[in-house]
Amino acid sequence: MNGSEAVSVDNLSKVYGRGHTAVTALRGARLAVNPGELVAVLGPSGSGKTTLLTAIAGIVEPSSGRVVISGTVLYDDGWRVPDLRRFRREHLGFIFQSHNLVSFLTALENVVLALDINGVRGAHAAAIAQELLDYLDVGERAHHLPEQLSGGEQQRVAIARALANGPAVILADEPTAALDTERGKSVMALFRRVAREKGSAVLCVTHDHRMTEGFDRVFHVKDGQVSSAVDARSHALAAPQLR
Amino acid sequence: MNLAVRDIKYGLGRFLLTSVGVGLLLTIVLSMSGIYRGLVTEALVLIRGVKADLWVVQRDTRGPFAEPSRLPEDVRYRIAIVPGVVEASPFVLYTIQRERQGKALRMAVVGYDLATGAGGPTRVVAGRGLGQKRFEMVADEKLGLALGESIQLGLHEYAVVGFTRGMVGSGGDPVAFFSLADAQEIQFVKDNWAVRNARERARAAYERSLPTQPTLPQTLARQFADNPDLHQVNAILVRLDPLADPAQVAAAIERWGHFTVFTSAQEADLMLMGNVDRARRQLGLFRGLLVIIATVIIALIVYTMTLDKLKAIALLKLIGAPNRTVVGLILQQSLALGLIAYAIAVTLGELTFDKWPRLVLVETQDRLLLLAVVIVVCALASVLGVRRALRVEAGAALTG
Repeated sequence: MNGSEAVSVDNLSKVYGRGHTAVTALRGARLAVNPGELVAVLGPSGSGKTTLLTAIAGIVEPSSGRVVISGTVLYDDGWRVPDLRRFRREHLGFIFQSHNLVSFLTALENVVLALDINGVRGAHAAAIAQELLDYLDVGERAHHLPEQLSGGEQQRVAIARALANGPAVILADEPTAALDTERGKSVMALFRRVAREKGSAVLCVTHDHRMTEGFDRVFHVKDGQVSSAVDARSHALAAPQLR
Repeated sequence: MNLAVRDIKYGLGRFLLTSVGVGLLLTIVLSMSGIYRGLVTEALVLIRGVKADLWVVQRDTRGPFAEPSRLPEDVRYRIAIVPGVVEASPFVLYTIQRERQGKALRMAVVGYDLATGAGGPTRVVAGRGLGQKRFEMVADEKLGLALGESIQLGLHEYAVVGFTRGMVGSGGDPVAFFSLADAQEIQFVKDNWAVRNARERARAAYERSLPTQPTLPQTLARQFADNPDLHQVNAILVRLDPLADPAQVAAAIERWGHFTVFTSAQEADLMLMGNVDRARRQLGLFRGLLVIIATVIIALIVYTMTLDKLKAIALLKLIGAPNRTVVGLILQQSLALGLIAYAIAVTLGELTFDKWPRLVLVETQDRLLLLAVVIVVCALASVLGVRRALRVEAGAALTG
């Protein structure tokens, strides 16, 4: 870890509950992701990958360890950044399996919402949002409600929203799980494009081995521990055994 | 970006329907204020309209509005010569109910002295005032009579020659103004069947007491049954010299020992402390209960609306929205609901209150008070939803 990483996780532990009921979700996890890098976090259910993602997102407070996002310390052994929500809106973008668009806002408004929360308002915000939607090829659906969009379109809008504030890191939780293979590949291509062109690190929690080929590196999580990153291509070759 | 407005637009039909429901409830709350104010106005409209300085009534009664009072008509002449009195006019007031076209016709009968005009209609909105001493009446519009129409009351028919507006008795019955003589006759003179019956009863009574004088019972019975004492009134209205001291004049009249004297202010207080006060408390209780019910209903609606948005709220928190954005969303929707419902209530009131059976008098201050209550109620009602929203974890957005 050299301090220039987009995400730096060091010796991260998380224990849920106490005493006999204590469950250790993360045990000294370590990982680092560089700006513009597209990485996958793979692991079976209950391995701790979602806990890792939510700890990096500032949603779950780790029991110990250190998380640094783009040079700003989020957690450091019991200390955490005072205003988590501000930290999130300034440094992170989120994409989920279920798209999670606000149902009563149009595609454009969903993107404007992220900007509005960060203090960018009015015509300027609308212009940025439209530009992002155009960039992701859903510009002409800008004034449609989420229920009027297909799953792939909703995911593109979610990506546009995640990109709105130019985050250092985009955290994606099973972003292709609800999509068919073609649409999943299309979304992965978008992630690659975003990582290359926007310089954001994309950290993607998935168990979808179909998509691992597109990542720069793959981390494995097992029993709360993160294995060293492997090259995605070699992982893709080994993928059938992992299933 | 105003999230509250966008959410409302998204579910506009449901939101408006809910607002209409709350609006109807607020209409009832508003009407309670109006009914109370109407009660007070109706109770005082005659007292205020008469503009007497003093009311002379039967001793130890609180007449003529709060309870019956009866005194001889000719007392007016004795009162008129008391120093400080400019004018003393007889006044008759009672309520009758007759049947007209198969429906009950209730009216407060006011009889007054046409010569002084005291106690008569203050403003005739159609037709004219009483022009002759007999067989005419000026009726309030609410009686539903037609100009020129004649109605049978007792032995005679009375022609409607004019209309008043908003003149009601203390019980809310529309007023009909008659000459003193007509009012007394309607009240005391029996119809033919009653006269025959009274004669028989009187004759039987005298026959029992005077068996030795066979012709006397018939003579006396006829006299008593046919000629009741018509010259009774319910109050004498006194107008004073501007320089006279009302207390001194009242004391002078009360010294005679047969009368009680009230000022107009005291008459008004008697009304408000009696009939109206109990109704006021009842209406106040209803109003309070309705405000509580409205608060609970709005709170439940806002809470349900919040539950519908928990996922969106979690998402807002996840992408970094501050609490004020979440609180603003709920509070603004609650206020929007209340204000739309308020507008519906005020509009509905404007359109319908004059068609309600009794006077509903809503003034600007009642509307402003309700507006303040609605704002406070909506703010309170949103607390439940806000508490629920603030408890939502950002991580809830991650769960499918």
